[in-house]
Amino acid sequence: MFLYTLKRLFQGLVTVWFIATATFFAMHNVPGDPLLNDRAVSEAIRANLESKYGLDQPLSTQYFIYLRNLSTGDFGISFTQENREVNDIIREHFPVSAILGILAVVFAATGGILFGALTAIYRNRLPDFIIMILVILGISVPSFVIAAMSQLALVSLNDLVGTTILPVAGWGTILHMLTPALVLGLGTMAYLTRLMRSSMLEVVGSDYIRTARSKGVPAPRIFTKHQIRNAILPVVTVLGPSIASITTGGFVVELVFAIPGLGRYFVQAVQQLDYTVIMGTTVFYGAFLVFMVILVDVLYGFIDPRVRLEK
Amino acid sequence: MTVGSELFKIADLAVEFDTYGGVVQAVRGISFSVSKGQTLAIVGESGCGKSVSVQSMMGLIPIPPGRITSGSALLKGHEILGRSVIRGKEIRGSEIGMIFQDPMTSLNPTMTIGDQIAEPLQVHRGYSYREAFREAIKLLDMTKIPEAAKRAKQYPFEFSGGMLQRAMIAMAISCKPSILIADEPTTALDVTIQAQILDLMQDLQKETEMAIILITHDLGVVARMADEVAVMYAGKIVEHGTVEDVFYRSAHPYTLGLRAAMPTNDPEKQSVLEPIQGSPPDLFSPPPGCGYCARCPWSMSICESQHPEDYYLNEGHYTRCWMHHRESPLKPAELYFE
Repeated sequence: MFLYTLKRLFQGLVTVWFIATATFFAMHNVPGDPLLNDRAVSEAIRANLESKYGLDQPLSTQYFIYLRNLSTGDFGISFTQENREVNDIIREHFPVSAILGILAVVFAATGGILFGALTAIYRNRLPDFIIMILVILGISVPSFVIAAMSQLALVSLNDLVGTTILPVAGWGTILHMLTPALVLGLGTMAYLTRLMRSSMLEVVGSDYIRTARSKGVPAPRIFTKHQIRNAILPVVTVLGPSIASITTGGFVVELVFAIPGLGRYFVQAVQQLDYTVIMGTTVFYGAFLVFMVILVDVLYGFIDPRVRLEK
Repeated sequence: MTVGSELFKIADLAVEFDTYGGVVQAVRGISFSVSKGQTLAIVGESGCGKSVSVQSMMGLIPIPPGRITSGSALLKGHEILGRSVIRGKEIRGSEIGMIFQDPMTSLNPTMTIGDQIAEPLQVHRGYSYREAFREAIKLLDMTKIPEAAKRAKQYPFEFSGGMLQRAMIAMAISCKPSILIADEPTTALDVTIQAQILDLMQDLQKETEMAIILITHDLGVVARMADEVAVMYAGKIVEHGTVEDVFYRSAHPYTLGLRAAMPTNDPEKQSVLEPIQGSPPDLFSPPPGCGYCARCPWSMSICESQHPEDYYLNEGHYTRCWMHHRESPLKPAELYFE
């Protein structure tokens, strides 16, 4: 298991290197120039700036400088924001996105597993129909619509009660996090519910559940000890990528709820052609995604003994 | 067989299933009984209702679409149909143990073998996890699995098919049930392993005096294991008796057909297997008469319209075939008559 983890980590490193390289060359081929602003810069200043950022070096040299900096964890300095290192931006804003994302994933996973299991057990009966209609809504309605509607609902609720039960926007306390996290996790929850439902249906009809019943194991114990653990595997598989995509993809929700997350900076950087910030956040997101997938692969072995290849 | 020694008695059990195509009458009124330390084999081809009948007794068929329309099942004189507890003891797993056809899929892939064997002891006997696991190791040892302590910590995918079936048996007998139901226990195993599993079941039966209900379509297994045989066809028992009676004094054309379809290693008889022509009747609308008449070489006009009754040839040996009626014009030499 230890060797397996090590091997996966090494593979992950190679993947990150690929992402970094692809990002570097893609950025280089983007039309436009970070130093060409609305106001023209004189040739001398331009040359000075280029030498400062190393842009006058040949491409291969730039690439190796970039890799060397990257290996020490240095993503460089922002092109558009004065005296701000990309590291600072990430350090400051990623935790916000991460907390929101993790909370959203917790909502999505617990809700998805629970509702999915319920729909399978109540297959073709009322609870199944109700939950599956909500699931289709959750998958098809975009998050900014749900975000806006939940804000509207919160405003009406707060109005009705007379005090602020849950804040409508902003960031700070746990109360601020609840609504955006729920909204952010809703689509994934709906997706996980469907996934869990189909895998649970397979488990419910399996031979070993019949065996467990023939042993006289009571239904609640069959549910917890035999069904959930076997049905959860496909959910765990997609959980890693979901964590990454929720954490990094909360841009819209962050905007609607006025949350100072990293997503906003990423989009800003793309609009302003802030090379280092784009490359830095892209590589960071990529590495995060890779790490989450590895984490899930390792976790998988704990849930399903058949996946523990090397002991 | 004397009435007093009957441990388990099924009377007139009928089971139906609602399907999109209509109602399937899977079991159409069967009766049998088993005594302590005895083995009853239920034989018949696929779809004749063997498995459904025992699974319905255990409450393992899904209701709906399944439905037990009539009958009773008395265990030690207590009705068990539709309930899960008699005299304060759970029926499933405690009074009746069960093993299934395919050991590869019948064990939970994400639970250790030891945990799965220990589970009934925790559930029914109130053992702590550690006690139950220790007992599970003993049970694995009893079913002749080498290095039981190490094996108990392994998962089903690390076991071979034969080993898994031993583990299944260990699990089924963990609470010392008075009946073991074996639903085609050796069908998925290769021949050498089959013999070992059957020997194991016989040894355990001698030790614990449990009754065994063995469901199979392998007449070789029946000859080796059973004291009594019930031959099922189209949801009904067509012949019942001791192994000697049914094998050597076959009274029903279907039993005869089964025997003829059995492979032999007698060099003088080496020839092509003789299958029974045709296929079993549609149980959506079972024929009004004998279910076998469409395939029977001696079928008469009464066979198509009316059910034959039980004709007793001697005590315990009965058959359902019109040719055993006193006035039957046909008395073929191949069949045994009173």
